[in-house]
Amino acid sequence: MNHNPKLQNIEHSTSYLLRHSESIKVYESKPDVDIWNAFNKGDEIAFNYIYRMYVKVLFKYGCQMSRDHNHIQDCIQNIFIDLRRKRGQLNEVQSIKAYLFKILYRELIRKSNKSKETVHQYHEKIPDNFSIEFSQETKLIQQENAQEKIERIQGAINKLTCRQRQAILLFYEEGMTYKEISVAMDFSEVKSARKVIYRALDTMKALLQAKSENEV
Amino acid sequence: MKYKDYDIAHFITDEFFIQWIKNPTENNSHFWEKWMGQHPEKRPLVTEAANLIRSVKYADNTEFTDRMYVETFENILKADNHFRQLNPISPIKTSTTPTKKVNSFFPVRGIAASLLVLFCLWAQYEAFNYKSESVEIPEIAMITRSNPAGQKSSIDLPDGSRIHLNANSEIEFPQEFSNDIRLVSLTGEAFFEIEKENRPFIVQSGETKIQVLGTSFNVKKMENESLYVALVTGKVSVDTQDGSQMTLDPNEMLVIEEGGKFQKTGFDPKEVIGWKDNYLVFKTSSLPEVRRKLEQWYGVNIELKGHFDENWTYSGIYKDEMLENVLRGICLTSGMKYKINKKQIILTNPK
Repeated sequence: MNHNPKLQNIEHSTSYLLRHSESIKVYESKPDVDIWNAFNKGDEIAFNYIYRMYVKVLFKYGCQMSRDHNHIQDCIQNIFIDLRRKRGQLNEVQSIKAYLFKILYRELIRKSNKSKETVHQYHEKIPDNFSIEFSQETKLIQQENAQEKIERIQGAINKLTCRQRQAILLFYEEGMTYKEISVAMDFSEVKSARKVIYRALDTMKALLQAKSENEV
Repeated sequence: MKYKDYDIAHFITDEFFIQWIKNPTENNSHFWEKWMGQHPEKRPLVTEAANLIRSVKYADNTEFTDRMYVETFENILKADNHFRQLNPISPIKTSTTPTKKVNSFFPVRGIAASLLVLFCLWAQYEAFNYKSESVEIPEIAMITRSNPAGQKSSIDLPDGSRIHLNANSEIEFPQEFSNDIRLVSLTGEAFFEIEKENRPFIVQSGETKIQVLGTSFNVKKMENESLYVALVTGKVSVDTQDGSQMTLDPNEMLVIEEGGKFQKTGFDPKEVIGWKDNYLVFKTSSLPEVRRKLEQWYGVNIELKGHFDENWTYSGIYKDEMLENVLRGICLTSGMKYKINKKQIILTNPK
């Protein structure tokens, strides 16, 4: 390659990168379905937007399932490589975040689960996955008995199953809807996501009531 | 069931409610603020539900570092090129957009280099929206720029760095930096996007020095308040009054109290640096905080009349919003009343 075309290339790429900075503004207000369609059609700006928006939350989510940060990074890399290869044939996606969470979750299980256990068996082996920290802002802690109350709730949370904690985190920490949770957790029906959350909250309620009666 | 018959269990299982707490948008804020205006008796319940929801957090909070961000991005594109060489008939190949061509022919090394460019551009992308101001002052003179309440500006420094200066703030810097140091002094709040070079860049805020090489970060020190240094990218070190030195990683914030006590925390980027992109953010802000923010943002004077609940807090996000609309939002949820008379605002609490 001689000098001139290379220079041109660089200039070209700079203007292309410049357009990236506008991509946020272009895609910010668009529905996920449209962004995903654009990505599927090969739009690099759409890919860039998706990567920029979700790679950090994906990593954080991955950290709830494994301590091996390099491994999580690899898995994230793999799912994006895979998605890019399948461009042109991707299915419609309503919630990009929920969909990415789902495929990362699958990838992490696939990679660290050589013996083909079910998801349930897999979770039994790593009991501290999806640990929840229940903590309030300092402003609120100053209230009387607040610290004690927090500890009681934390205790009840620790008694939840791994799948329940996963659902609770998706619901409250990630702010997902029931529909999105059902996608992320690979449920076939939205109903199942509601069930998991309700059951988790019922368990906690029972535990909290039992405890306060003991104290009286 | 109607929302007005809700108890706490209903609120914390209502996805629309949780969306509002976690990701407030114009739509859901409008709905819930109006609703609370109509059902003031439900406010304590709503606050309690919101606190419960906000208290549930991941136990592990490892951050995806900037290095990992670039590395992963690079590897993804690299795999792409590799794949294309192996599979010349991939569907991607058939695409004819110019973007595609750049990617297919662009060497990997070039991609890495352009990623760096991309990174600088990200950091500065808001900066494009601002007009640059030319600097015309005699040699080695010090330049002072200040904003009154209600006005923000951005300033280009001689080394190519850029400063977004908030309202009620002042910055001083030499027309030309010396050969070995770039020193500016700040009163108030500014967001810095610093060009990387060998001369360290130092922000002097009161007795505290914040030193960086190339990075973006926010510094805030209002009169009689703590100093806040929030790092977005790169690395900064802070020399405190007592001679100790603290370093910050991205997404960390250092808070130094007036007495010299300090602590590191995380921060919500929208809350801390949203101002430079015209986001006015309240996050469980107390009444004095709300008042101070509004006065600074709009350059008005706010007078409070009547008795106000000390535990009252307000959360909300506004972008490029008129003062009247913000006041309306606050009053809807709180039951307060406002009156605007030019630059003089009166907030009353009828209860």
